[in-house]
Parts: sequence; C-alpha cells; structure tokens
Amino acid sequence: MDLSRVFFTGNSTMNLERMPNEEKLSLCRRYYLGGFAFLPFLWLVNVLWFFKEAFLKPAYTEQPQIKSYIKKSALGLILWVAVLTTWITIFQHFRARWGEVGDYLSFTIPLGTA
Amino acid sequence: MIIMSSNILSGVDTVLDVGQSWITINALIWLWAFGFCHLLFMNTSDSEEDSYNERSALVQCESPTIPSYHQDHDMSLPQETDTKRGRPVSSGLDEPGLVERERAATPDGEEEELTLKYGAKHVIMLFIPVTLCMVVVVATIKSVSFYTEKTSQQLIYTPFKEDPNSVGQRLLYSLLNTIVMISVIVVMTIILVVLYKYRCYKFIHGWLILSSLMLLFWFSFMYLGEVFKTYNVAMDYPTLAMIIWNFGVVGMICIHWKGPLRLQQAYLIVISALMALIFIKYLPEWSAWVILAAISIYDLIAVLCPKGPLRMLVETAQERNEPIFPALIYSSAMVWMVGMADSNNPDSADERQRNEGGALAQEGVESEDDVALGGRRRCSAEEDLEEDRGVKLGLGDFIFYSVLVGKAAANGGDWNTTLACFVAILIGLCLTLLLLAIFKKALPALPISITFGLVFYFSTDNLVRPFMDSLAAHQYYI
Repeated sequence: MDLSRVFFTGNSTMNLERMPNEEKLSLCRRYYLGGFAFLPFLWLVNVLWFFKEAFLKPAYTEQPQIKSYIKKSALGLILWVAVLTTWITIFQHFRARWGEVGDYLSFTIPLGTA
Repeated sequence: MIIMSSNILSGVDTVLDVGQSWITINALIWLWAFGFCHLLFMNTSDSEEDSYNERSALVQCESPTIPSYHQDHDMSLPQETDTKRGRPVSSGLDEPGLVERERAATPDGEEEELTLKYGAKHVIMLFIPVTLCMVVVVATIKSVSFYTEKTSQQLIYTPFKEDPNSVGQRLLYSLLNTIVMISVIVVMTIILVVLYKYRCYKFIHGWLILSSLMLLFWFSFMYLGEVFKTYNVAMDYPTLAMIIWNFGVVGMICIHWKGPLRLQQAYLIVISALMALIFIKYLPEWSAWVILAAISIYDLIAVLCPKGPLRMLVETAQERNEPIFPALIYSSAMVWMVGMADSNNPDSADERQRNEGGALAQEGVESEDDVALGGRRRCSAEEDLEEDRGVKLGLGDFIFYSVLVGKAAANGGDWNTTLACFVAILIGLCLTLLLLAIFKKALPALPISITFGLVFYFSTDNLVRPFMDSLAAHQYYI
C-alpha cells in the first residue's frame, strides 16, 4: 500500500480524499506559506479547499494543524480584503481630486467624468 | 520580432505592439507545439497511476484492438492497460485530436454497455467546459470591442495582408497564410518529436511553463485592460498589479503543480478562451476561416495516416515506457486510482514506482495538463481498483471551437448564426464521441465539429439570416 506513490504520480488529479494525511498537511502548509507573497487569493483557495477537511471531517492526527493553518489563512485573507477595500474606496473617491498623482496611479481613466 | 504592421513606426504604441507581438508569437509557438492536442479519447484508468501517466498504457497497447496514436504535442494520456485485468488501454493523443477508446477485456456485451454508458456521461462532461469556453469568448466579443477591432497588425504566422478590395487576391493571400500557418504547426510538431527523442524534457517543460506564464499574465493583463476600458472603470496600478499577480500565480500553481480540480479546470477554460480571443483578433478575416478548415483536414490526415512525427513520438514513448507529455489537455475523467490497488497488485505498484522514477520530469507537465472533470467512479473495497473512464480533450480543440463560434459572433453580430455554430460544434463533438465508442480507436476531434460549424455558419449567414430579416421586416411570424 503505497499511497504516497499513488499520490505522487497522480498529482494531476487533485483529489483530497485520496491523499494521505501527511500530504494534505504539507499541501495546506505550502499554500499558507505561499500566501505571504502578496497572494490573498491563494489563502482563499486554501480556506475553501481545506475547509471540509479541517472542520467537517472526523478527527485525525494532522487535523488540528490543518485547522490552525486554515484559521491563519482566513485571518490573513480578511486582513488583505480590508486593506484592499480601504485602498480601492480611497482611490475611487479621491482620484479626481488628486490630480496628477491620481492620473499617475491610474491604469485606466474613465472618459467623460471628472 | 518582425511585425507585419504598419503602425510599428508610431510612437508609444510601438513598444506595446512589439511586446504584444513578441509575447503572442512565443505563446503561439507553444500553443501550436503543445496545446494542439485535439485529443479526445476515453480513458480507463486502472489503479495504477501509470495509466494516467501514459506509461504502461503505451507499453501494453500490444493488444491489437487499440491502436495508439500519439501526437506529440498534445499530450496523450495513455491509458494504462491493466494486464492483470487483461484490459487493453490505449491512449491516443494527437495533436489534431485523437479519440481513443479503451476496450475492456470483460465480456463484450457488458463492456460495450458500460463503455457506452460512460461515453454518454463523458459527452455531457465535455459539453460543459466546451460550452463555458465558448460562452466566455462570445460574451467578451459582444461586449468588449477591442477584440473585434481590426488592426493592421498581424501575427507573424500570417504574413500576407488581405486586401479587402480584390476578391481574388484576398483568397490567394488567405490560402498562402494558411499554408504558412500549417507549415509552422508541422515544423513545431517535428521539433517537438525531435526534442522528445533526444530526451530534452527540461527544455520542453521549461518552455511550456514560459508559455503558460505568458498566457496567464500578459494576455489576462491585456484582457482586463480592455474590459476596464469598455466599462469605463477607473483602475489603479496597485490594485491591478495585485489582481494580475494573484490570478497568474495561483493559475501557475494550479496548472503546473497541485490545486483543486475545479480551479484547475476553470483556469484551463480561461486560458483557452484568452487564446481564442487572441486568434480572433489577430487572424485576418478570410484567413481565419481557411485556417480552420485546413486544420481540421490536417487533423484528419495526421490521425488517420500512419506516417507522421506524432506516430514517432508515440512509438518512442512506447519504447521507453514513458508517458508522453500531457501538454494542455482537459480530461473529463478522474483518474485517481485508489491505493488499494497496490496491495492487490504488487506488480502495478512496482510498475508505478518505476514509472514514477522515469516520469518525474514529466509529472509537472502532465499534472498541468490534465484536468480531470468528474467522472469518478468508486469501487467497492473488494474490487481492486477504482476505474475511471474519462474522455480527454485537448486545449487546442477548445481553442478552435471557440475561435469558430467567436468569429461567428464577431462577424454578423447575429445571434442566430452564433447559436447555430454553437449547436453545430456540440453535435460534432457528440458524433465524434459516438464514433469513438463505435470504432474504438483514436479519432480526431476537430474535423467533424469544425466542418459542421463552418457549414452551419456559412449557410446560416447567407440563407437563414436574410430569410429571418425579411420575415421580421414583413412582420410575419412563423
């Protein structure tokens, strides 16, 4: 019974159910660590993907660690969402007033408005 | 990079154009080389991962029933033959779309039935991603005018500029463009075979990563820019950078490494849609139609004729007992084999191990390519393996279907035509899968669908549309 080998060769089909627990933990951890590179989307994927594993499955040895990673990812995600929302609101509201700086920061400038 | 453009001399746009062209060309090279897997076949994966990796399948394809056509670029996923079960697995891959069917060794009647049943299931499973891709392309074409604006810029693959004033010259130039394009494809195929023969896996893998990088970052950047311009939304660079960065990196992770299945499938659909949009924008009008027709013919020839670089690729892979690079391929099957198989089949475990070792370099490539859609079957604990049958369709097929429907949407703007082409392609896909079930060998996925699509497009555009228009004009409802 070599689930790790099965897993390794079969990484094209990502099926959590058939992954051994150590692999799941390692994957979760990698996604968590990867999210620090300005990747809140990765944290989101982490949370959504491992949510069932962490909270809805019967307990197994690695589960508490996966849970902690999910919680930390969710925390980071919420933080990033807050930061981005704040920034976007500020930008959209004050863009016109900032004049040159606003234009410099803009990728697309809407036509026909101030 | 040479740009066949008249605006190369115009200021700021030049840099962007050059950049775009360079990237387009590069991405296209790889698209042609790898993403051209019009490969459609059914997989029956046995417990061994190998089957998924095409290894053993190729090896065990001695069974006379299933010819394995392997087309290099695209990736073929050979299905493993479970010698224990005596099931021949064939993996057919080929660029122009192979449809390969695996035959089970169990009693024919039962097997037939199972196959057809699964075949029907997988047809539906393929409909969804194909439809989604087409929907994305059509929605973009209809809303974002950028992709329908004709530029004087053309791809390097279509060097002849069509002159709208002269029909004869236009026809001639579109034929010449097609010849150039097809030759590029053939050359790329040969290069790929040569690279594979000389075991330059790293090179192939690296270039594949580069091309998907381009697709995920540059094309999506262009796309987002155009969408924002269309909807007149202000967007700042920091937010844009965050969006593109996240989208791209998570895409690379999902496709080339490990990620949730659905997300991987979604990314492949998005990539195909982006690529199709680029084609729609940069291929000249008449050339595009002729190219579509030529590619289906090429597909047909390449799959059904015994000579060719793809055959060589497959045979080489077979000799080496290795999986062929699963380039960009979309699979409708879950090919996870349960680990139980190991305990029951020590040979398969060994094989798998051997396979793993040999196929390490290709794992990434394969994983990136194979997107498995549903189709999973669970076996009971007593059974050795969980078998998944799946149908795999190459991303090249997605792209060309979407190009056809997108051009239909772009040209007339008429929904009748667009819907007609859409239905035609799905019918073609259905028929191809049916033929697959009947003939049980590799078949090209493009010809039937594209033929139907073209026929429907031209007939609807020229016959049905004026009819509907004059009916509406006379307020006559039928």
